[in-house]
Amino acid sequence: MLEIDNLRKRYGDKVALDGVSFAVRPGEMFGFVGANGAGKTTTMRIIMGVLEADSGEVRHEGRPVTYEDRRAYGYMPEERGLYQKMKVAEQVEYFGRLHGLTPAAARRTTAELLERLGLVERRGDAVEALSLGNQQRVQLAVALVHDPGVLILDEPFSGLDPLAVDALAEALKDRAASGVPVIFSSHQLELVERLCDSVGIISAGRMVACGSVAELRAGEGRGLLKVVVRGAAPGWAEGLPGEITVDGDRQVLLSADGDDQTILRRAVQAGHVEHFGRQEPTLVEIFREAVA
Amino acid sequence: MNGLWLVAQREIRTRIRTKGFIVSLAITAVLVGAFAFIPKLFGGNDTYDVGVVGTAPAAVEQVKFVTYADEAAARKAVIDGDVEAALIDDQTVLADGEINDRLGLILQSAHRDAQIKQAGLTITPLRVVSVGADAAYEGVRAGLAMLLMMMLFFLLIYSAMFVAMGVVEEKGSRIVEILLTSVRPWQLLGGKIVGLGVLGLINLGVVIAVGLGAAFASGLATDLPPGMAGIVISAVVWFILGYAFFSTLAAAFGSLVSRQEELNGVLTPMTMLMTLTYLVSYLAAAEPTGTPARILSLIPPFSSMVMPVRTAAAEVPLGEIVLAAALMIAAVVVVLLAGARVYERAVLRTGARVKLGEVIR
Repeated sequence: MLEIDNLRKRYGDKVALDGVSFAVRPGEMFGFVGANGAGKTTTMRIIMGVLEADSGEVRHEGRPVTYEDRRAYGYMPEERGLYQKMKVAEQVEYFGRLHGLTPAAARRTTAELLERLGLVERRGDAVEALSLGNQQRVQLAVALVHDPGVLILDEPFSGLDPLAVDALAEALKDRAASGVPVIFSSHQLELVERLCDSVGIISAGRMVACGSVAELRAGEGRGLLKVVVRGAAPGWAEGLPGEITVDGDRQVLLSADGDDQTILRRAVQAGHVEHFGRQEPTLVEIFREAVA
Repeated sequence: MNGLWLVAQREIRTRIRTKGFIVSLAITAVLVGAFAFIPKLFGGNDTYDVGVVGTAPAAVEQVKFVTYADEAAARKAVIDGDVEAALIDDQTVLADGEINDRLGLILQSAHRDAQIKQAGLTITPLRVVSVGADAAYEGVRAGLAMLLMMMLFFLLIYSAMFVAMGVVEEKGSRIVEILLTSVRPWQLLGGKIVGLGVLGLINLGVVIAVGLGAAFASGLATDLPPGMAGIVISAVVWFILGYAFFSTLAAAFGSLVSRQEELNGVLTPMTMLMTLTYLVSYLAAAEPTGTPARILSLIPPFSSMVMPVRTAAAEVPLGEIVLAAALMIAAVVVVLLAGARVYERAVLRTGARVKLGEVIR
């Protein structure tokens, strides 16, 4: 279990983190969302030890994380960094060696990763000759080469085409499935909703919501009741709580706190019921609500 | 230590393969090699060709005799410039206009010696004893010192620039963020300095090897002063000390900025200090035994250039060398500690230029 406990960080007068806490279990994929400047990158940099927190602690398996622990982590920073003039395979191998792999192991895992990420043909090319998407894959290879025990990825999906997004998502799921806690930040909320076991929403340096997607939905209440009735006379919903909108011969009722059985009976009497159900809030809605 | 060595290896491997490195090394080698032949080309003749008609005199040092059938042939050879002068029957010297002073003296004294010998007298030549410093090699040593001075300056500034550029490359591209999750800042900084230092030493080694090789090939080596090994060792050791000092400064200043364009501005204090060191080493080359040279050769970082130049230009008491080295090593340690601190604190702060005051507390 990777625990982030009450991190605080100031830059001069500006408070960047104001007591951020959350935990990620082994094998869990944690989506970290928040507006620009909310504190995602600062948190991730503190987890990686690139930045020091003013107070608070990062623990892994119950012990405070040390520099040696972090050497076994995989990290993709927000601003991508690679040696532009270095060759792809050489570069991935170099980072493997820096993380403590033997020359042979570094060569072997590099070959495997380049194979899996579809970069085999580009192994001898300088990084600067690659497309942005391929550079991103090399960046991922650099983060994965030493078979990390924890993965911290800052905006790994930004700038990728849909196919590359799928490939990267698969790679991350694989890692999580092997028991590695994976934390990544993203602005693509549908993606986070689809991939992540749990989600943390940060706003102005504080965690405003955290938990599994289902838990977050539950926290939002049961959601609005939505009824669509065709061919009903105007005014059929007189006296019922909620709002009516008219769309051609369809009338839509959205109700937050009406009794659903009463509403259903009235709707059936009034016309042809096309839809009746609670609206599950999307992550986007949860997010808007949480940071508002 | 392993991390440091990996970083150093990468620096060496990537830089040594670049065209820039190979081309500049080749050009320096050619220039230094050519330098060793210059005295041969412009330094005037070692031997004079002199025509002879009639009996040739006994062998004379620095003169090569060429026999001609008669005076007319010899006269023509002088006018055509085939020979410098012609000796007719051991009595007359033909020259084109005035005879070369030195050749005149040589011929006259050879002639005198021969006649004295004939008269049955022996003369003991004068013995020359120096009562000042060993002045025999003064000229060569001054030349060596000049050469060494330029070489050290360019190598130092070139290597230090590369360190600074490497630091900014890693900081600007943010690759340093990934690097620092697997190596310590001192390993990254140390590896870069060691790696590029090895390349600097390769440069220096090639220059010295080519220079000495060419000196032997051109015959210049016979003019080299005794104790060349000491001069070479001193140049290498002082290069290492000077490089450690200036490259650490370069790395520390370089870590304050995120873009190569800002580098020149931020490095100004360092380049000024280097230029000053270069300028004061002129003193040592021109007047190696003067008081200013002696004092400056003790003060770091000036000593890093003044001392090797002084060592090349004149004999330096061992005590002064040891003192200068001890002071320089102390200065290197201070700069390394302070530089590593600045680097560590500044290298992750991308964006606007970091103020030096903010990172030294």
